[in-house]
Amino acid sequence: MMDKLKLGVFELTDCGGCALNMLFLYERLFDLLEFYEITEFHMATSLSEGNHYDVALVTGTVSTQRDLNLLKEARNHSDYLIALGTCATHGSVQASVELPIREKLKAVYGDEGNPMRALDSKPVVEYVAVDFALPGCPYDKNEVYQVLLDIAKGIEPVRKDYPVCLECKLNEYECVLVKKGLPCLGPITYGGCNAVCVRSGLGCIGCRGPLPGEVNPAGEYEVLRELGYDDEYIIRKFKTFARWEP
Amino acid sequence: MIIELHEFTRVEGNGKAEIVIEDGEVKDVRLKIIEGPRFFELLTLGRHYYDVPDLEARICAICYLSHSVASVLGIERAFGVEVPEEIQLIRELGLIGELLESHALHLYLLVAPDVFGYPDAIRMATKHGELVKEGLALKSFGNRIRVLVGGREIHGINVKPGGFGRYPSVEELERVEKESEALLRLARRAVRLFAQLDPYGARAEHFVATDGYLWGEKLVSEEGEQFHYTERIEERSLVYSFAKQSRYKGEPFFVGALPRLLLKADMLTPTAKRLFEEHRDKLATGYVSYNNLAQAIELVYSLERANEIAKVLLDRGIKGENVPVEAREGEGIGYVEAPRGVLIHHYRIDGNGKVAYSNIITPTALNHAMMEASLLEEARELYGEADEMAMIQRLEETVRAFDPCISCSVHLVKL
Ligand code: SF4
Ligand code: SF4
Repeated sequence: MMDKLKLGVFELTDCGGCALNMLFLYERLFDLLEFYEITEFHMATSLSEGNHYDVALVTGTVSTQRDLNLLKEARNHSDYLIALGTCATHGSVQASVELPIREKLKAVYGDEGNPMRALDSKPVVEYVAVDFALPGCPYDKNEVYQVLLDIAKGIEPVRKDYPVCLECKLNEYECVLVKKGLPCLGPITYGGCNAVCVRSGLGCIGCRGPLPGEVNPAGEYEVLRELGYDDEYIIRKFKTFARWEP
Repeated sequence: MIIELHEFTRVEGNGKAEIVIEDGEVKDVRLKIIEGPRFFELLTLGRHYYDVPDLEARICAICYLSHSVASVLGIERAFGVEVPEEIQLIRELGLIGELLESHALHLYLLVAPDVFGYPDAIRMATKHGELVKEGLALKSFGNRIRVLVGGREIHGINVKPGGFGRYPSVEELERVEKESEALLRLARRAVRLFAQLDPYGARAEHFVATDGYLWGEKLVSEEGEQFHYTERIEERSLVYSFAKQSRYKGEPFFVGALPRLLLKADMLTPTAKRLFEEHRDKLATGYVSYNNLAQAIELVYSLERANEIAKVLLDRGIKGENVPVEAREGEGIGYVEAPRGVLIHHYRIDGNGKVAYSNIITPTALNHAMMEASLLEEARELYGEADEMAMIQRLEETVRAFDPCISCSVHLVKL
């Protein structure tokens, strides 16, 4: 049998969810281990034996100098780097706090300067070239499973190209925007989660970031305004996960 | 001289420690939380209350539901909203799912490898596959409850002020009832396994918990009276850590599974209570490492309680009605027992329903001083006695016993 591919999981500043979600693959994680050997994953193992990774998964935002160093190390030592989760692909919630870092630190920690070299939170993709970007806060675990299998078999994984809205239609969920007037970002959000929040009868909050291309954010804006939401509310909603300018 | 403990592994988030040696003696310990700051209080400032619980959930993946529930409780108290027992029970069920998921992760995947001498659970599985499987079974049941109540395994948005987006169905509750019964045997085995460990780390002298088992109106300590956190707990910033440090009346204190058992044993379910009694003498010594055993007993509690809740809800039938929520100016604090201990969400909300002030204190921040004290004690004991690698390994285990959740801890603020 072929040598196994070396897999590294690197966690920058985040909620831990995107790393944890890998463990939530349960038995399927063992299926992946037929193809991969995990040589770096500090949430799960005390071993750290890699100096080269066939595939590196990077989760989280760059929020400190440490994060930046780790990211560069992961990039320099890997063949295929995946920005995993909305923190890594778009910055997610922590990047949406728009004050300069010094002011944020002052507001939170008092006036003690910046002894630990904090940076403004930014997604991984702003610092290094990535080979694949898989958003989601957290990403859908079926999707990462498929992507890793594809790579192991030498197939370039595909990016989905439809909004969450379509997944509602396929599941025959009642439209919460039209029927309940809830603020739902499903029409303009990158699909792939199988519209899981709408399944609870609630509006999509846009955790997978905006679908690039043909969607119509201006139209969404108008719909929300007609439903009575004010500009500030709508803009904040648009910006929360992806610093999205409508 | 400084001995560095490199970044902790098998904990959630990024942290490390330094042991300061002077004149051949351990002088000090610094626990450094190096995970970057995440500024959640700033994030929620000026937000409409309805969106806040979903954002606060993102503080931490392992205990997202505790954050959503604490957030919802704080908001409801600010508006003077009371929810009926049905909604309270479903929320409690969600918190139980989280306790199962988090404790099973900690005990089976993070701590058990230490017990059996492996670097991780994957490698441990070759010899102890059965045990790893049992852990995963408990964990995935916990996660299924989180999906049921929270809407997703991680960062669901189903828990809302005044109720839920979607209520559990009869079939789903029947499944909870059945599975919780079937898994009880595994949890009892975990108690036997973790009862064998020798104690290490410091002995805590102060314990703090919420006044109910999984949430409350106020806090309690070993002294007995109820209090608000503002009356007895103080926070301060440290130059070497992104997490603030809290003290109870100026002293380190402990929150988590062990404090819950010691302060609230009378609220336990029958088997859990029996197991607690059986191990009471040990647990009452207050060694932080017994937190592992306490978590195992809580696995039993969680399964029994989940079973009770499912039965009650099935008997009464689910109404599935939300309580109307109307925004008004107010202030409220939500106290929840996250798996790792007391979690506090405190908000002031203005007349337009927007957050004007927010303060969040997480278990890991509350335990920060106790963790340092524990490391100090253990380092003093081992320095010069054990070789350096063995000492470092044991110190890591000392930190791990707290089950620290570092991502959670890095954004503590008064605004
Ligand atoms: S994308 Fe979301 S789930 Fe993933 S690490 Fe960031 S905050 Fe956590
Ligand atoms: S429905 Fe929206 S908010 Fe929910 S998981 Fe999908 S993209 Fe994220």
